[in-house]
Amino acid sequence: MKFSYLFKGVVASVFGAAMLLTGGTAQADYPCKEATFIVPYSPGGGSDQMARRLVPGLEEALGVGVNIVYKTGGGGAVGFSELHRSAPDGCTFSNTVVPNVIISSKGEGVGYKPGDFAYIGMTESSAGTLMVPKDSKYKTIEDFIAAANENPGMLTVAGTGGSGLSRWNQLESVLGIETTYVPVGGGVGKMIPMLAGSHVDGAATGANHATKHKGIVDAILVAGPNEVPTLPGVPNEPDWNYVITWGLMAPPGTPSDIVETLNAALRSAASDPAVQDALTKGGYVTHDMTVAEVNAFMDAEIAKYAD
Amino acid sequence: MFEALLMAISPTYLMYMTIGVLLGLVVGTLPGLTATMGTALLVPFTFGLPTGEGIAMLGGLYVCAMFSDAIPACLVNTPGTPAAMATGFDGHPMVKQGRGQEAIVAACFSSALGTIFGAACYLLLAWPMVSVALKFGPPQFFWLGVFALTIIGSLAGKSILKGLAGAAIGIIISCIGISHAAEVNRFTLNIPELRGGVSLVAALIGVFAVPQVLSMILNLRKEEYVAEYKPEKGVILKTIIKVVSAPIHFLRSGVIGAFIGILPGAGSPIAAIVSYNEALRWSKDKSQYGKGDVRGVTASEIANNAAAPAAMIPLVTLGVPGSAPAAVIAGALMLRGLNPGPELFGTNATLVYSFGWSLLIAGIVVFFIGMLATPILVRIIKIPLRLLAPLIMFLAIIGAYAIRNNVFDVYLMLIIGLFVFLIRPLGFHPGPIGLGFILGPIIEPSLVQALYISHAVGVQRVFFSGSVSIILISLSVISVSAVAISRYRSRKKENAS
Repeated sequence: MKFSYLFKGVVASVFGAAMLLTGGTAQADYPCKEATFIVPYSPGGGSDQMARRLVPGLEEALGVGVNIVYKTGGGGAVGFSELHRSAPDGCTFSNTVVPNVIISSKGEGVGYKPGDFAYIGMTESSAGTLMVPKDSKYKTIEDFIAAANENPGMLTVAGTGGSGLSRWNQLESVLGIETTYVPVGGGVGKMIPMLAGSHVDGAATGANHATKHKGIVDAILVAGPNEVPTLPGVPNEPDWNYVITWGLMAPPGTPSDIVETLNAALRSAASDPAVQDALTKGGYVTHDMTVAEVNAFMDAEIAKYAD
Repeated sequence: MFEALLMAISPTYLMYMTIGVLLGLVVGTLPGLTATMGTALLVPFTFGLPTGEGIAMLGGLYVCAMFSDAIPACLVNTPGTPAAMATGFDGHPMVKQGRGQEAIVAACFSSALGTIFGAACYLLLAWPMVSVALKFGPPQFFWLGVFALTIIGSLAGKSILKGLAGAAIGIIISCIGISHAAEVNRFTLNIPELRGGVSLVAALIGVFAVPQVLSMILNLRKEEYVAEYKPEKGVILKTIIKVVSAPIHFLRSGVIGAFIGILPGAGSPIAAIVSYNEALRWSKDKSQYGKGDVRGVTASEIANNAAAPAAMIPLVTLGVPGSAPAAVIAGALMLRGLNPGPELFGTNATLVYSFGWSLLIAGIVVFFIGMLATPILVRIIKIPLRLLAPLIMFLAIIGAYAIRNNVFDVYLMLIIGLFVFLIRPLGFHPGPIGLGFILGPIIEPSLVQALYISHAVGVQRVFFSGSVSIILISLSVISVSAVAISRYRSRKKENAS
């Protein structure tokens, strides 16, 4: 493979020149010359947004360039399994979305277990939200429940793919209602126009989407023990156990000192006031976790979806 | 809106938009580098710019890529992005006849017109158009996909059955992987890499480029070039006059492009296919379609370019991007703390309108840059086949890899390509198979979702009610019966003679 040697030579020399020019700013405790950030979802989507928000801070903290690489498909499974196969040197990491990383691992032949990865940290989460179109007949959750009880199974609710189904079924049993679930794949982007055009009666997804699309859809219920500040006046259901959490993870077996370095870089990147501000305004709750905390969090989440 | 125009014609806007157009020329020309990839790569470089200039640059790249993807489609029968598949149906035969320059000029001029048409819709008709877009739910998308499939009638060549079989092969391949709706593994044969599905771009490169290269190699002794290169004086003006003197053709293609462009999830590739099919249906002389009719090129290019600015309409009105590159542009806005949609329209309408003007002017810039580049680009066919074949193969491999940074996609591309090459002598054309790849991801998930909805309200109400569904069903029926009648007649004629 003469070509590949030539290619490597060219890359190495270009890189060497770049290092000379920048004065080789790589920090001693981060062993990589550059980092690869795998985004397991489409360009422009939520995980891409997150990556792009964090990259400037990560580059500054790690002292090297961070390249975003998209590995999309399979509801995140393609990117996650690519990370699983990557060298555990800390030079490659990816977004992680909980519970997606747990639910997707249950697929046949997917090749990873959620407990395998070295979790770096969680930065934000968003509560599940039930939304209706702006001009819906159902203005409140009471209207919605009453309609569902009157005609069991006649109301349609869109959610994200197969994994959204279990979260929706849980709310159904809490509220004691029966509806028809409509799975939507390929990102929430397709769900919003479906809801805004009243092709379904409701949709269940994160409060971040309900916040972003306030102008065309109304939230009528949020999950969890607290109200969502960006959705004032929307009642919350403490027993609806639907939270989406976003963070970063590294391949299995990444040495703990490198995970610590990445954790410190992530926390410094996420603590940027502009990042915090964007998240708070966007309907997220921000998090700042140590490696020990994120591991405890993941153990609890994995146990939650154990059956 | 006047203020917005002044913004859009300020020198910095024009400069960055033009840089975007130039990058779009490269991105579109290389198969595998799609407008989505191009805009995503460019986003970090726009952060140093003010918002208006930044999105003008991204918009310039997007609309130019919708032109330049026609260049490889015409010259070497490999669409630069999925949107140019229909362009190649007539564009490549034109090149083979030595009318390469005419094909590229026609593509360029109609791309410019299409962009201007789409941008005018964005500036003037955004709100009324988006209310139509909202009428499209899962059943309507399903019928739109079925309607687009009826183009097989005109693509299939001698046997409709083989055309249908080809499209079915394409749709089945597009179903490989984890299903969108229910997250179930389909046809993955326990190969983990297949879980992510077959990349549309890689598959299209395989369908078109690989058989092309293989037949070039087999014909090396007979042919030395793809086609003759005959520069013709006055061809630019002649082609432009040809396009301008068919205003109804232009309007029809533009309207189809703009309306399909605003539908989130449909986009330029389907706009081009439907527009091509309608151009064929409404023209008096159909005999040259698929054999080098310039109207095939212009129908496809007007529509796929009109769809690009139109894909921004749901973004600025509802906050929902109409296409993948529009999603990237949405992301770029959100990273600046802006919320595209009703909020941005309410607080900064000037920015929203200046983007529309930028897209419109980008259409004009695309034309001039395209005209400057055409004489150079057309010379690609002057490269002898023994050099061109490996070059196309090289670009095909890079392109298949680049789309998802995945070597597995390269293998898939080669396998699919070899498969198409082997079944071609049996009368299967690449067109219907490519059509299946493009339409499968629209038809299949929307069918599944519509069926789920039908659990609640019944099949009849979901699929056969509502004006949009009824119109699309009628159009499909008319389309199929027209093909059946004309085939029946021509067979009768054959039998009689």
